[in-house]
Amino acid sequence: MFLLKYLLTSFAVANAFMSTPSQKTLTPSRTFGSQIEQRISQVRKHATRASTSLAMKYTLVLVRHGESTWNKANLFTGWADVPLSEKGVEEATAGGKLLAEEGFTFDVAYTSTLKRAIKTLWIILEEMDLMYIPIVNTWRLNERHYGALQGLNKQETVDKYGKEQVLIWRRSYDIPPPELEKDNEHYPGKDPRYADVAEEDLPLAESLKLTEDRFMVDWEKTLVPEIKSGKKILIAAHGNTLRALVKHLDGISEDDITGLNIPTGIPLVYELDEDLQPIPHSDAIAPLSGRYLGNQEEVKARIGAVVAQTK
Amino acid sequence: MKSYLKACLFLSLSTLTLATRPWGMTALNVRGGGSGIQEKEVKDEKVKGPCTLILIRHGESEWNVSNKFTGWYDCPLSEKGISEVKQAGLLLNEAGIKPDIAHTSYLQRAIKTLQLVQEETGTMWIPTSKAWQLNERHYGGLTGMDKVETVEKHGAEQVLIWRRSYDIPPPPVLADSPFHPKNDPRYAHLEFPEEFTETLATTLDRVLPYFLNNIVPDLKRGKTVIVAAHGNSLRALVKHLDGVDEDTIVNLNIPTGIPLVYHLDENMNVIPSDNGIAPLRGEYLGNQEEVRARIEGVQNQTKK
Repeated sequence: MFLLKYLLTSFAVANAFMSTPSQKTLTPSRTFGSQIEQRISQVRKHATRASTSLAMKYTLVLVRHGESTWNKANLFTGWADVPLSEKGVEEATAGGKLLAEEGFTFDVAYTSTLKRAIKTLWIILEEMDLMYIPIVNTWRLNERHYGALQGLNKQETVDKYGKEQVLIWRRSYDIPPPELEKDNEHYPGKDPRYADVAEEDLPLAESLKLTEDRFMVDWEKTLVPEIKSGKKILIAAHGNTLRALVKHLDGISEDDITGLNIPTGIPLVYELDEDLQPIPHSDAIAPLSGRYLGNQEEVKARIGAVVAQTK
Repeated sequence: MKSYLKACLFLSLSTLTLATRPWGMTALNVRGGGSGIQEKEVKDEKVKGPCTLILIRHGESEWNVSNKFTGWYDCPLSEKGISEVKQAGLLLNEAGIKPDIAHTSYLQRAIKTLQLVQEETGTMWIPTSKAWQLNERHYGGLTGMDKVETVEKHGAEQVLIWRRSYDIPPPPVLADSPFHPKNDPRYAHLEFPEEFTETLATTLDRVLPYFLNNIVPDLKRGKTVIVAAHGNSLRALVKHLDGVDEDTIVNLNIPTGIPLVYHLDENMNVIPSDNGIAPLRGEYLGNQEEVRARIEGVQNQTKK
């Protein structure tokens, strides 16, 4: 017994000098033994970043909905509630098959109030034989609201305002597009699904920053406790809300996040440690530490494809 | 000594409860407890007047096609079942009825039915609760068996009793069978007796508390609620809503894929519809001639 403690102590001490300091403060412990255990678990966390088996505590899967009818027609969509195109349905089916093949399972799913994400989720759960799990619909997972640009053709908008201005609206971190008027058909106050949302929370236009701010409320209040309770969660959402989430998980800068393309319909798997820090996967494509499922060459090609929409 | 007496008391009480229906699902078996058939009070909420309840029975499933006893087996809708339900959404649109809240079972044929209706009515975003309590009646040891073969084996009369009796159970499913719910992860949070089966009576025992505790509060807030469920779980509901007696309810045919609409007053009493087809006071949407034909099972069907 003494030998064991000696070995543990020397192991812990030796590694304590080699490991990077933890960002979390050590909780005070009463016994020497539990101090050793804490050191060892810290050491494990840092020493086994490449391997996921020991440190991984939680799995979180994200998927961006597939092509919608307005994506296909190259219109700014935002909160407009348009359905998936046929291709979008196929993408969702393929995503579901990948998850089923790799033996994933979920306890609960979160999605937005927009049918293109909801349908994506329904298709995936059907493929996985998990139609019975509870689904939570939250407006905070909605796509970024595109203000007065909603419904306008992307190329026509470029022709009208110039490529640079449109690029700013699309890819700036905190410059929102022009606001819509409250009598505009796309004003969320007119939609019964937002009847329970406070008027000051209803957007007239959003930047990525504003999207992030209103999404993070749900992340902190609802999603984090759910994940920590051990539930396996699938989030089916939109380009900008998923950007907000991975920005937070991976500490991505404001400049880098606006250019990040999350390909549609491909499940993005995060393995998180007990502090919800991502554990980088060997298949991760920087700046993300999560991995996309499926053929990696195809994934890389798809990441490049989203940029082409306003050439 | 005292704890020994307590133990004896507990054992005898629980035996007594189990003895009445040893194979069934009493409130005791459910972890987290059933509260018995009582209405939960809706706190601080004024009842908002007449509300609408839509019931819809799922369409034809693949095991309906292959003529097997289904119960809790999770088979999907057949192609025909899917097209039956698409009509339902259109009927609701025509009637100007839009659900605010949805309830359904754990079984995909009901869930898919609900999804198809939600898609058609533009209500994919509404809060949806999935409840095992709305499942079809479990067919015990008959699950998966071909109906014709079962008749050949046990006789037509016995099978008719099992199918249409109010409270005579089919033979139970055993713990090692793949059809026993303890072997299905979706029921992992519940406890089941080793031998399990259900009748319409025990189905009602689990449907009614769910209705009173989970659906009625939504209705009292003036919401339009849609319930997508199964033949027997809906029989249980309409028995309660319309006070249908046991003998009549066992033979009541609720046609698949046709919305059955109830309007209820502040006291949750049914406001009888002019188009109600006795013994029901709710209204089936759509062409009433066709509806009556479907109820009586007279509709032409291609024999498979």
